[in-house]
This record gives sequence, C-alpha cells and structure tokens, in this order.
Amino acid sequence: METILDIIRGFRAADGEVLRIDGAVAEPFAAVDPRKLRVEAAAGASARVVVVHTAPDLSVLEVELAEGAQLELTELFTAEAFAEVSVKQAARSRCRLTTVQLSSANASYRIDLDGADAENELGGVFLAAGSEHCVVKLRTGHNVADCRSNSYVKGVAGGQAVGEFSGLVYVAPDAQRTDARQQSRNILLSETARITTQPQLEIYADDVKCSHGATVGQMDAEAILYMRQRGLSESQARRLQIEGFVGDVVTRCGIEPLCGAIMELASAKMEKL
Amino acid sequence: MLKVHNLHASVDGKEILRGIDLEVKAGEVHAIMGPNGSGKSTLASVLAGNEKFTVTEGSAEFLGRDLLSMPIEDRARLGLFLGFQYPVEIPGVTMANFMKLAVNEQRKFRGEEPLTAAEFLKLMREKSAVVELSSKLTSRAVNEGFSGGEKKKNEIFQMAMLDPKLAILDETDSGLDIDALRIVATGVTKLHTPQNATVVITHYQRLLDYIVPDVVHVLYKGRIIHSGDKSLALRLEKEGYDWLINEYDK
Amino acid sequence: MAENEKDILENIGEQEYKYGFTSDIETETIGKGLSEDVVRLISAKKGEPEWMTERRVAAYRHWLTLEPPTWAHLTIPPIDFQEIIYYAAPKPKKQLGSMDEVDPELKRTFDKLGIPLEEQMALAGVAVDAVMDSVSVKTTFKEVLAEKGILFCSISEALRDFPELVKKYLGSVVPYTDNFYAALNAAVFSDGSFCYIPKGVRCPMELSTYFRINAAGTGQFERTLIVADEGSYVSYLEGCTAPQRDENQLHAAVVEIVVERDAEVKYSTVQNWYPGDRQGRGGVYNFVTKRGICRENARLSWTQVETGSAITWKYPSCILAGDNAVGEFYSVAMTNNFQQADTGTKMIHIGRNTRSRIVSKGISAGRSENSYRGLVRVAKGAENARNYSQCDSLLIGDRCGAHTFPVIDVRNRTGVVEHEATTSKISDDQLFYCNQRGLSTEDAVGLIVNGYAREVLSKLPMEFAVEAQKLLALQLEGSVG
Repeated sequence: METILDIIRGFRAADGEVLRIDGAVAEPFAAVDPRKLRVEAAAGASARVVVVHTAPDLSVLEVELAEGAQLELTELFTAEAFAEVSVKQAARSRCRLTTVQLSSANASYRIDLDGADAENELGGVFLAAGSEHCVVKLRTGHNVADCRSNSYVKGVAGGQAVGEFSGLVYVAPDAQRTDARQQSRNILLSETARITTQPQLEIYADDVKCSHGATVGQMDAEAILYMRQRGLSESQARRLQIEGFVGDVVTRCGIEPLCGAIMELASAKMEKL
Repeated sequence: MLKVHNLHASVDGKEILRGIDLEVKAGEVHAIMGPNGSGKSTLASVLAGNEKFTVTEGSAEFLGRDLLSMPIEDRARLGLFLGFQYPVEIPGVTMANFMKLAVNEQRKFRGEEPLTAAEFLKLMREKSAVVELSSKLTSRAVNEGFSGGEKKKNEIFQMAMLDPKLAILDETDSGLDIDALRIVATGVTKLHTPQNATVVITHYQRLLDYIVPDVVHVLYKGRIIHSGDKSLALRLEKEGYDWLINEYDK
Repeated sequence: MAENEKDILENIGEQEYKYGFTSDIETETIGKGLSEDVVRLISAKKGEPEWMTERRVAAYRHWLTLEPPTWAHLTIPPIDFQEIIYYAAPKPKKQLGSMDEVDPELKRTFDKLGIPLEEQMALAGVAVDAVMDSVSVKTTFKEVLAEKGILFCSISEALRDFPELVKKYLGSVVPYTDNFYAALNAAVFSDGSFCYIPKGVRCPMELSTYFRINAAGTGQFERTLIVADEGSYVSYLEGCTAPQRDENQLHAAVVEIVVERDAEVKYSTVQNWYPGDRQGRGGVYNFVTKRGICRENARLSWTQVETGSAITWKYPSCILAGDNAVGEFYSVAMTNNFQQADTGTKMIHIGRNTRSRIVSKGISAGRSENSYRGLVRVAKGAENARNYSQCDSLLIGDRCGAHTFPVIDVRNRTGVVEHEATTSKISDDQLFYCNQRGLSTEDAVGLIVNGYAREVLSKLPMEFAVEAQKLLALQLEGSVG
C-alpha cells in the first residue's frame, strides 16, 4: 500500500473540491480519500484520474465530460469506503472507469450518456475475503441515441465474505442504435461465501443491441489438478487461476508503475482468499 | 525407477485397477495398450496422484520413495510428468507465467536457485523448438483456443521444460494428424535419454513406429494380462485383442 | 418498401383484440364486498368441512394485514376489493342451439386456430351434449383415468370425496402467508381442479381443464392442486388458445404442485384472456401464484405461452427440495397495445445436484411493457447445483418496453449459475430476405416470431404447440392493410 501512495505522490494532486481539465493533460491526477470531488473536463480535454480510498469514509465524486472529452478514472479501495460516483457524458465523450476493491467497499456508479456517440466502459473487480462485504452498483443510462457502453464486473469471494453486484442498463425511448453490454462474472471460493448478482435491462427503444450475462461458478478443479501435475502447489494454482480471472481488470488502468503495484497488492490479497 | 506392486484403485466405489504389477527402469520405453475401458488412463491418473481415485491396495515406488503418500505436486517436482489425454484450458493464465512458476517450483524442490527472467526466456525458446511450437502459442493463455494438435505439442513442450525422470503419456497420439504425430513422437524421442524413462499409453501401433518400446503391456479389466517386446504391438495391430482377451476370460 | 414495412410493424401494435366481453352469464351472487362473514358464507355455500372454513378465515385475517405488492414493473390502477363480488355460483352459460348462432368472428378464429368442431362448440357454449361423439370421448376419458386410479375432479368434489388428501396438500406449497393475492385466493377461492396421480402411475393422456369447460365456470379465484405421487408422471394443460371471455377483471389464481420422489409433472399454460382495447381500457388483471415442490429425483417443467390479459403478474416457480431434482421454465410472453406483463420464475435450489433451466422469450409490441423477473437461489446445502438461464426480448415498434430483472443468489461454492440475455428487433434485412423469397411481410413477421419462440413452443404438447404457434401469428395478423 505504501508503494502505491508513494507512486501517486508523484502525480498531480487533485486536492480541491473541483478539478477542471482543459486540453490534454499527460500526467495523471490523484486524490486520496476525497470527501467530495468534482471533475470537469472541457470540450476536447483528456486526462487520467486516480482515486484511492484508504479510509472508511463517504466519498462523492461527480464527473462531467463536455463534448469530445476523454477521461480515465481508476478507483482503488483498500478500506471500506462508500463511494458515490456520477458521470455525465456529452456527445462524443469517452470515459473509461475502473474500480478495484481489495477490501469491503460499497461503490455505486451512475452513468448518464447524454450526447450522441458518447462511450463508457467500466471494468470492476472485487476480492472479498474473511467477513468482508463488497458491493458494486451500476446504472448506465442511455438517454439519447447512438451511445455505447460496456461494463464487466468480476468478483471473487472466499471465507464468509459477501459479494454483490447490481447493474441496470436503461435505454430511454428514442435512444435508438444503443449498443450496451453488461457482464457479471463471479467465483465463490468457500462454502460460506455468498454472491448475489442482478444484471438488469430496462429498454424502451427497439433498434438496440443490448446484452447482459451473469455467471457464478467455482474454481476449475481440473485446471488446479493440471497445474499441480506440473509441480505448482494448490495455493499457487488457485492464485494463478484467480489472477487469470481478474488480471485484465486489475491492470487496466495502464499507468505504470501504479498498475504493477496494484497487481502486487491484489496478488497478496489473493493468497488470503 | 518405478515399481508398482499389486495396485488396486477405485472411483466412486467401483474398482478399476485390480492388481497392477509394473516395473520401469531408467532408459526404458514401455507401451501400455489395451481395449477401451481397460483402465489405462486410470493407471496414469493414479500414478500422477489424481485424488478422484482411491488406492485400495498395493504400492508404488518412484525413485526409491513411496509415490502413493505424496501429493500430486510433489510427485511432479520429483520428476513424474503426465501428458494429459485432454489438456485443460486455463483462461487468463499465460503459458509463460505458468511455466515459470512450474520450473522454479521444481528447482526449489531440488534446492536450486530460481531461474532469472532472461534464463527462463532462453529456456522457453530452446524447448519450444523441440516440438516446433510457435512462440505465439507460448505467449497465449494455457491451452486456450489451441487446436487439438497444438495442445498435444504443448504437453510435450512442457515435458521438455520440466525434464522429467519419468514421463507417462496418456493417449498423446489421439486426435493427431500424421504431421503432428510425427512432430510429437520425434519430440518425445529427442527427450529420451538413458537416465529417464517413458511410459506411452496408446491405442494404436502407429505411435510405436516412432517411439520404439522396449516392453509392450496389454491392460485388460484392470490387470496387465500380457507383456512382450515390440513385436507384440504389431501382432495386436493385425489381430486385435481378442486372442488375448478370450484366453484371459477363460 | 421500407416505408411499407414500417407501417406494418406499427400496425401490429395497433392490433385490436377481436372479441370483447360477453355478459350473458346468469349468476347467483351474494353481493359485493369482502368480510369474514362473506368468507364463512362462501365456505358454507360450498358445504365445506370445518377445517377448511377455518383455513379460509385464517387466510382472510392474514390478508387484512397485507398490502398489494408494488415491486413489479407494472402500473396497476388501485383495486377496490369491496367492489368485487366474491361468490357467484356458476350457472351453465347460456347455451346456443347450433354453431350458426355463434359469433362469426369467433368461429373464424376457431377455424384459424384449427380447433376441432366439437371443441369449438364446447368453447362457444353450444350444447355439447347434443354431440354424441363428445359424450363418448368424455366417458372413455373418465374410464381410463379411473382404471389407473387417477383422481381428476374439481376442488369442491375433492373436498367432499378425498378430504384427507386435500387437507394434507392444499396450502403446503403456496401457504396463505405467501403473498397478498395468494392470501386472498386462500380466503375466497371459488373452485378449481384437483389431480392426484398414484404411485408409479403414468397418466396415459394429457390432462386438461378443457374437458370440464362446461361443467364449472371456475371463476376468478381459481385453485389448482396437483399431486404426483412417487414415480408417477402427468402432463397437465391449462387454458386454451381460444380467446377467453370473462366478466371478472381481477383473476388471482393459485396453482400448487407436489412432485414426489422420482415423479415428473409437465404443466403447460396457454393464456389468452381479454387484454383490453387498443386504448388500454378494460382487460383482465391476471395475478397468479404458481409453485411446485420437487422431492428427490423429481422433475417439474413449466411451459407458458402468455398472450392475453391487460396485466400479468406471474412467476411459476420450482422449489428443488430433493437431491437431483430438476426444474424447468419455458415461457413466451407477448404483449401488445397497452398490455403489461411482469413474469418469470423462481428456482430455489435446496437439494444436492439439483438442476434448473430457464428459457424466457418476451415479445413486446405497441405501447406495451414486458418484463422478465427471475430469481435463482442456490442454498448453502445445494452442492453441485446448476442453473442456466436465457432471457431474450424481441421488440416490435419503438414505443414498447422490454426489461429483464434477474436476481442470482449463490451461497454454495459448488454451484454454477449462468444467465444470458439479449434484445433484438425484427431487422429490415430479415424482412427483406423473406420478401425476396416471396413471403408477404405479415407472413415473414409471423415466421420470425415463431422461429424466435420455437424453443419454448416445442416444449408444449404437440397439438397445443401447433395452436399456440397459430395464436402468435394470429395476434400479429390483420396488420397488413
């Protein structure tokens, strides 16, 4: 964890209540335990923002993207924070959200695609161990025609942990040519863990491509056996499989060396699952 | 190297192996043949340590140690390699990551230093040449989206990486076209040395054209009912198993 | 061409239900409103045993403490439960002398659906007794069942003739505490069907309420109880494809199914109640509670084709209590105009190695709202439970809604649950392709809709499937020109 904090100290601090972004900003912004943060990206602006939750706080995040703006927002939870994130996207804007929960956490995302050709992509992962409780809530509103969204949330629960995903894709009347996808994939590791998932669609337009899927399953026992035959211990084989399952989401922020540090933290957590 | 004595094993209360006796010495190649359902794959699984099967009687010694008391990974680290009939796909786990862990676990077991990244990559390159495995495949997830032939080549590639003392190849020839069969068989032959041994489980003589066995065993109803030299395999190819089975069933 | 297709698709949504309500049924009523006295009076009029009366009263008292459920994706106008007549002794429908007196439109529908003449007569209220063949069919039918020891009668008869069986099973799967409408039904149910298949018996024919169509108008609070004893099998059909006329706006039926060890029950429904007019006036509210419990190695399969009713609230469910039990739910729900449907299933995995499969096909047209709502729960002890759900929506026109609300709750790590959903419309390319091969757009739409629903329709008994297929096409017919 210290490594991560060290890394983001090198980023630009987003410590005020409002972060305004004009033009293309290469260097990432970072905020640690923000109570309230509003990110406004001007037309055509682009930036990356990292938010780390290290304390059990309430956190409200508002993001507004003007036409053609691009934002990558990565949230990391290492303490049980309640985070409410709302994202409003104007025409042709792009938003890429990542949420990584390595402890109990409750994150809810409300995404409104308000301008044509807006695009939102959300990747989420939670690793719940012991008696932790991880919650990811998501509402993706396709309020106008010709927007795209793609969400995938992967969950792993061990011990007596509880993992919850609830997602809704809303397609407004006349939001034609919407392309919305939502996936919830989960693995239960123990007899006492529990996963609940509610992938929902509410559609009021007919010319749309909407799909959602949800699975809850277990570790692939055959794969574990296979890896053990090649000399890996059972816990290594398990960790490898979990890494294989969630690795793409954990590392999707792409900001090195932060990305590697998050993966290391996640791998350490996997050993405890 | 491997001494199996009166091995009995069952799955879900059903006895499949009913007294196997088998001795494999360093430098030897054994072939185990037999009709479907005779217990060939079960023998391989039991020796590798698949917990689905319960050993009810008998013993197995590997390199002087009690094989049956060891967990599956320790058997592997000691040098027992099982080439799976149906290699499993492991999404998201890259071949490189997987093999690096496997090789280093084995080294740790033997009290050796782990390989550096550079050494490991060099080893990967070298060994993938043994079975003409494209480097593209080694950068992909384990067996994911591999063709049947690629999966089998990948098994032999891993065998090359891990350099086992005893390799048990379970129907490695099944589902291979003639070119893939040649590549796989040549790979196995290249890896064979006077210090290691190979047990080939197969249905067909054709694999044995490439991998010439010292001993051929016929497994039937969970027992080895006949053993002979390589000419036995040729006779089985021509005449089938009936002459042996009829004699045994009497 | 494109313009024409657009018109056609829009017209599909404008389709009028061809038959309104008829009100020529004479009834003996006990006045509007509901009270404990009314509940006791219903029980007395039916000559029920005391325990039954007390159960009704207990249900009524519980009902008073409940509120109507509001969680469904439905807009339900307030219902004044004191404005409803809870007891209407069924008198035979006014009988017509011959088929000539039957509404020619109705007759045309029957022909379209391919319903045999004598059944048409029965359904249209023509005195079937006049038809010799029908009587003999009915008699043979009863004889065959009696020979096998199968009991198939009305709930009232069952209460009189087999009170112990009814006492044991009634309310055992859907207790009156289950929900608002189930409580109401338990208090005031008028009649319904009772079916008992003895141990090891395979019912040799499809059992259908069809055969009793004239014997008793089952009314708005229907109660069905099916018990399949160990190792038995029955296929049960409810409803029929012909348009159902009914006085009553509110229907709150309860269906309970007990599937004992190694037994199998197939329950098929085709629901075609009056859906209201094109402005959304009138139409039946169909608030149904259907549930079955499966013991060890038992199998329960629900298949439904829902095309009628103004509002449908219905979740046929399976409690997979025994090891290796199997539950299935196959559904086609079609809504048009202002119809609203919120339907789906619950699969509760309790036993080990239990399996369930859900296939839901929603078709929305007009300004209708069509929702799939489902729950798949894998309880702690349900080792190796498996579920696969597939929920597809087809939208016809751009003013309707199609929604999917699944809940997956897994508490056992060996459980594997998969859910998939897609949404599609009838594409111009598909229509163009069919047109190019010489099909009219109307036929093409019918073809595509039937293709879309085929997986479900194929689960229906053969004759029923053919009728249901024609029904879906018929719902879309008349949209051209």
